[in-house]
Amino acid sequence: MPTHTADILIVGGSLAGLAAAITAKEANPELTVTVVEKYTAGYAGKANRGAGIITMLGSSKPEDFVAYHTKYVGDYLNDQEGLLRYAQGMNDSIDAVDRWSGGKVCKNPDGSYRTLKWLAQITGEDEHGKRTFSEPDHFPWTLVSVDLDYMVQVRSYAVKAGVQVVDRVGVVDVLTDDGRVSGAVGYHIDSGEQWILRAKTVVLATGSQNYRIMPMWSPGRGEGLAAAWRAGARFTNCEFGSFYNWTSLDNFESSMGVEFALFNDKGENVCLAHTAGEHPDMDQNSLAEWYKQVKAGNGPMHYRQNENPLMPYLTSILASDSYYDRPFADRFWGGLFFNAFTQQTSDEVVPGLIGEFSGLWVDQDWSTSVPGLLAAGDICYGGSRVTGAVPPPPGRVRGSGLAFALYSGRMAGASAANYAAGHTLGQLSQEQIDGVDRRFRAPLTAAGAVDGYALLDEIHKVMQPLGNSLYRRQDRIEAALARVRELKNQLPQVRAVDPHGLFACNEYRSMLLCAELFFNGSLARKESRGWFLREDYPQHSARPEWYVQVADGDGIRVTAETVPLDRYPNQPG
Amino acid sequence: MNKIIINQELCIGCKLCFKSCFIDVIKWDEKARRPVVAYPQDCVQCLFCELNCPKRAVKVVPDYAHYRFPRENIL
Repeated sequence: MPTHTADILIVGGSLAGLAAAITAKEANPELTVTVVEKYTAGYAGKANRGAGIITMLGSSKPEDFVAYHTKYVGDYLNDQEGLLRYAQGMNDSIDAVDRWSGGKVCKNPDGSYRTLKWLAQITGEDEHGKRTFSEPDHFPWTLVSVDLDYMVQVRSYAVKAGVQVVDRVGVVDVLTDDGRVSGAVGYHIDSGEQWILRAKTVVLATGSQNYRIMPMWSPGRGEGLAAAWRAGARFTNCEFGSFYNWTSLDNFESSMGVEFALFNDKGENVCLAHTAGEHPDMDQNSLAEWYKQVKAGNGPMHYRQNENPLMPYLTSILASDSYYDRPFADRFWGGLFFNAFTQQTSDEVVPGLIGEFSGLWVDQDWSTSVPGLLAAGDICYGGSRVTGAVPPPPGRVRGSGLAFALYSGRMAGASAANYAAGHTLGQLSQEQIDGVDRRFRAPLTAAGAVDGYALLDEIHKVMQPLGNSLYRRQDRIEAALARVRELKNQLPQVRAVDPHGLFACNEYRSMLLCAELFFNGSLARKESRGWFLREDYPQHSARPEWYVQVADGDGIRVTAETVPLDRYPNQPG
Repeated sequence: MNKIIINQELCIGCKLCFKSCFIDVIKWDEKARRPVVAYPQDCVQCLFCELNCPKRAVKVVPDYAHYRFPRENIL
């Protein structure tokens, strides 16, 4: 079997992982840094398949960013000190990705970043035929745009900097030596060959859990989350992993700003109340309104695109050269839109679950509770507590996914370099390796009574319903949790015949673990806060709490930690 | 099921469609130096294989009607 040794092992070759690798290597060139990616680093992950917009602080004050996010987005569940550091590091992140990508962040003719705020409205055209805008001044941040082939350039930069890249090897478990990380076990996704990866420290950058429902988010299958859990890591904010985007059942492409123009079948705009005032992005109450309207028999629900005030922004960045110059992104979005809209036959709109479960707890050094195991990117967005009572990116602020990947990747890379410089390699345990191998390969000899795709469909049926995952109630949560545990019992009966199937089984196992933690956390939170809605507990609790989950034998122990609002600058009310 | 069509006449064996796939739909035949559409049932029509092909030898034809989505379980 191939055995690879490095000082620092980064698992995941999308933006957070490559940012961590480059930062670690540049911080200490003596260290060996390896990125291991299940598919192909630079092409894998979600960072190159979205809008390509990145939140940037611009000229706003970090303190204003924190105040806004705490009040209007995170609902006072933020780690406000972590959020301040994030805001302070945002502009440097844009400089970094522009450098790594060879200048792929769009610029003005004078070389400054070309920015455009959310909800900007068109005022005319400039002398070059590009649109001009009136931009809202109440959002204390702005957005930049990057062409969507930038990740290939970022990979090239990493390799030139001395980072080693191992493609087509998916990590399925972390190895430990007396409680400290000593490496990881992976398998080649084509040959099925086992890989032993030995390292002083491991950074997990494998993304969030998206349950393989919505197209762009389908690679987020939670294998890194599950590996961290099995290694003993603590989790938090698990109950927020239920982001939904509006979509059409005709084509499953996401639509932004639907909540501004959502009508019931009687022709009534049902979301005016939810979009009045500050509205940084789609919100939980609009989704709950969709649920209530359909439950009341007022569906199907319709989206009148021509009444969406976001369209000037969207038509300027997607499949368009009317403001930015992004040839690759224009072709990408042009292709998606052509396929989608030529096959769209109605204006009916539904919420599609994206999930974004990301509850891996990390401290301010981006270290998990397992010594030597760090994390970056979507895997720990919720677990970092930085952004509060919201699902992870795209969450409630578009552009925050790439911004968080960049920031957390840079910080985790620096921490990993420090850690690796002060530690030696741990010992590998053959017993642990054999145990991982037995678990991972078990589906090759399973009875095969359960079809894998049928199991996936059953997972979808539990996670997608808004009554389970968004507008929650005790009885529905308990029923969903019971169903998840029933499905877990079916895992040993799923048969695989090749490496593709083995990884699928590992993904189903990871999905069900995340689902269990999600519903378990949902039971603990007996209030409504931010994105988290309980039909039976519509009010805020007196003191906001974070709920922490850790493995306890075969069960899960849940504890509460009070948010230290007394020491934070922004207070409720 | 989505169709991923490879024009074998135009394909130059550059591997970019194989590298572009972010969910293991496309495998690679090392002997033939050509892509193999091994798991079309998993394709999510992201179009990256089509977009990255330098010879326009790849075409993705989405079949949205059979996209794996829990249509009857939204509420």
